[in-house]
Amino acid sequence: MVELSKYNREEKPNWCPGCGNYGIITAVKKTLTELNFTPENTVLVSGVGCFAKLPYWVKVNGFVGLHGRSLPVAQGVKLANPKLNVIAFGGDGDGYGEGGNHFIHACRRGIDITYVVHNNSVFGLTTGQYSPTAEKGRKSKSSLLGSTEQPINPLALAIAAGATFVARAFAGHLKETIEILKKAVEHKGFAFVDVIQACPSYQPEKDLDYFKDKIVYVKEESNKLNAMETALKEDQIYCGIIYNGVKK
Amino acid sequence: MADNVVLRIGGKAGTGLITATDIIATIALKLGYHIFSSKDYASQIRGGHNNHTIRISKENVNADSDKIDILIAFDQLTLDKHISDVKENGIVLINEKIKFEKTNKLNFILINILEIEEKIKHKNLHNAVFSGAVAKCLGFPWDVCEAVIADRFNQKKELLKVFKEASLLGYNQTKVFFDYSNLGSSDKLSLISGNDAISLGALKAGLNFHVQYPMTPVTGILHYLEKESVINKKLTVIQPEDEIAAINMALGASYTGARAMTATSGGGFALMVESVGLSGMAEVPLVIIEGQRPGPSTGLPTKTEQGDLKFVINAGPGDFPLAVIAPSTIEECYTETKRAFYFAEKYQLPVIVLVDKHLTESSKSADLNAEEKEFTFDYNQRINIIAKVNDNQLNEDGLFKRYASKETSRTLPGTKNGVYTCAGDEHNDVGEITEDPEIRVQMVNRRLAKTKLIEEELPLPELIGPNDAELTLVSWGGNCGAITEAINLLNQEGKKVNFLNIKYILPFQKEAINSLLSKSKKLLLIENNITGQLGQVIAENTGILIENKFLKCNGQTFNVNEIYQEAKRWLV
Repeated sequence: MVELSKYNREEKPNWCPGCGNYGIITAVKKTLTELNFTPENTVLVSGVGCFAKLPYWVKVNGFVGLHGRSLPVAQGVKLANPKLNVIAFGGDGDGYGEGGNHFIHACRRGIDITYVVHNNSVFGLTTGQYSPTAEKGRKSKSSLLGSTEQPINPLALAIAAGATFVARAFAGHLKETIEILKKAVEHKGFAFVDVIQACPSYQPEKDLDYFKDKIVYVKEESNKLNAMETALKEDQIYCGIIYNGVKK
Repeated sequence: MADNVVLRIGGKAGTGLITATDIIATIALKLGYHIFSSKDYASQIRGGHNNHTIRISKENVNADSDKIDILIAFDQLTLDKHISDVKENGIVLINEKIKFEKTNKLNFILINILEIEEKIKHKNLHNAVFSGAVAKCLGFPWDVCEAVIADRFNQKKELLKVFKEASLLGYNQTKVFFDYSNLGSSDKLSLISGNDAISLGALKAGLNFHVQYPMTPVTGILHYLEKESVINKKLTVIQPEDEIAAINMALGASYTGARAMTATSGGGFALMVESVGLSGMAEVPLVIIEGQRPGPSTGLPTKTEQGDLKFVINAGPGDFPLAVIAPSTIEECYTETKRAFYFAEKYQLPVIVLVDKHLTESSKSADLNAEEKEFTFDYNQRINIIAKVNDNQLNEDGLFKRYASKETSRTLPGTKNGVYTCAGDEHNDVGEITEDPEIRVQMVNRRLAKTKLIEEELPLPELIGPNDAELTLVSWGGNCGAITEAINLLNQEGKKVNFLNIKYILPFQKEAINSLLSKSKKLLLIENNITGQLGQVIAENTGILIENKFLKCNGQTFNVNEIYQEAKRWLV
């Protein structure tokens, strides 16, 4: 088996202390280790945002492209060389805002890649503006009186758009996140994982304690309607494999 | 017998104009003639007014003609719109129900299409009847017409029977006006559009990944390659959600080693622009076909113009190497697309093939095999891609120093010890993000050095026509067919005019062009845009300001007579 340390690089991540990205990068490396993926046959693709630096700190092939555009690059990589293990990363601004169109169409196109979205509901790298997943009323430098927009529901959107694997993880729960990521990567078809994470710099009030009471794990669901019902529930943050359908 | 004959077929969209045009052009080709065929159509699928102009000649032709010998009017509007373009003693083929003013200067041939339709018990036979009638006018032998029709409808037996019968009735209703008999076909020529030629050039260069969102005037490339992909399993063709996805998918594929291409027009290219810079920054090879149509915005979607030149050469924030090639004939669409793939792979940068609607959607009889010698490389061989990485190419982390100052090769994902990060951020030698000022400067220089190397590999520009000309025409792209023909006419009349066609826009061949232009006595800039964009590029690069301009922006291409008359005006 490949050692986790094999994926480490000399340079260490420079995310803020307490950032959820640390949990995600560890989960990614652990997933690669457990699935025994070699660095040369794995490609991590990202866009632009705090999250997007992840491929710079994992010793596998990386493609760090443009804001919102990791999905088309990742699909191009997989289509041109199906032997490669391809994981694309997005942020909630990057993937649900800038790259929203690619997200919808990647769901229905069903190319065999995994898409992990780091969802902290703020634009971190541009200093904390409200993002497409910010709750209504969120105050930020670009929404001084509170955002008037409904947050996007990425899980429901993915199910509706035809994704065959839809999951949600929490960056603070390493073990569970690794299990979800492993299943996502092993899924044949487009697998989507929304990872809820903390942003200690711009959403300090949403700390681990805040999430502790909100997160509920659900059983893996293969019925689309049932999955959609869970996806639409807003009382808690439902995590786990929300939907695992078979690619037709 | 005239050197060439010009036909125009017009009517409503969706009434069989394309079929009739294809059949007539194919018969002429089978008989050994050269063809140039262009279409002028509206952005409308049914109705409106479309027309196709076909030149049939004993010699190679690359341009439209303004005057026509035979007008085939499917409807009243076509007759009213184009009758003034018919030469004296020309022929007008119409349904007998169409109203017209009798004149001795034209030969009207009236055909009772309704009677034929009733006889055969089939509707919408204008295209079949007129195909037959015009074939007779031109003196085409019926057996060749029959063979071409049979070939065209070989999958549709019922339609073949009807079409053949109607064509023969049309054929028998007119008389022979021209002697376009069998010259003996060479078999080497085939009818190829600019879009076909680009597709064929790309395939010849090893294209195996094409991503395109449909857009006029390059949708033909998507259709051609999709058709090819059904029989060629090595070729992947994708129609993505938008142009931004198109270019990024192509980049992803190219990064893994595919020979990748995308195609679009100005509006779609505007969406791609940020990613053109990504190709330059991350050094990922990419070929982009940009087929111009009149902008801005949606503009005139189905017409022609050359208004994107300055936009394309400045596509993207920051300085990065970019090559822009502007083919000037359908044959060059083939050879220059191949060249684009060669440069993209060798120098790992974006290469744009800049064409226009007049080039992409016109067709001609061409022998692309004969063009092979124009530009060739070993398509099976990969350039600057390595499968084995030596220890001295690795950094202390064991990552491949793909962006090291002397490193010209890349590895593909899957290569042992070939791991690096392909980065859109400024990066160090293994592709890791950096803001180090020294590395930044090194990397900018590394990328921009490619421009000079490409320039050294470009063929030098040449003047067409006499060296001691009184007037030098300067142009680019799809205008060149009409200009070359006009120059020939003027030279035959003893007028000293020559022509500089600028094919390589980026890198701009500054010295060579400066030297040719500074020796010229009088310059005339000809462009199908209203601001003389190439003229501005020439001025920026050489300091030579071409004050005499012949520009247009009406959505139409230049024809030979237009150039001939204009050149004459400047000769006085």
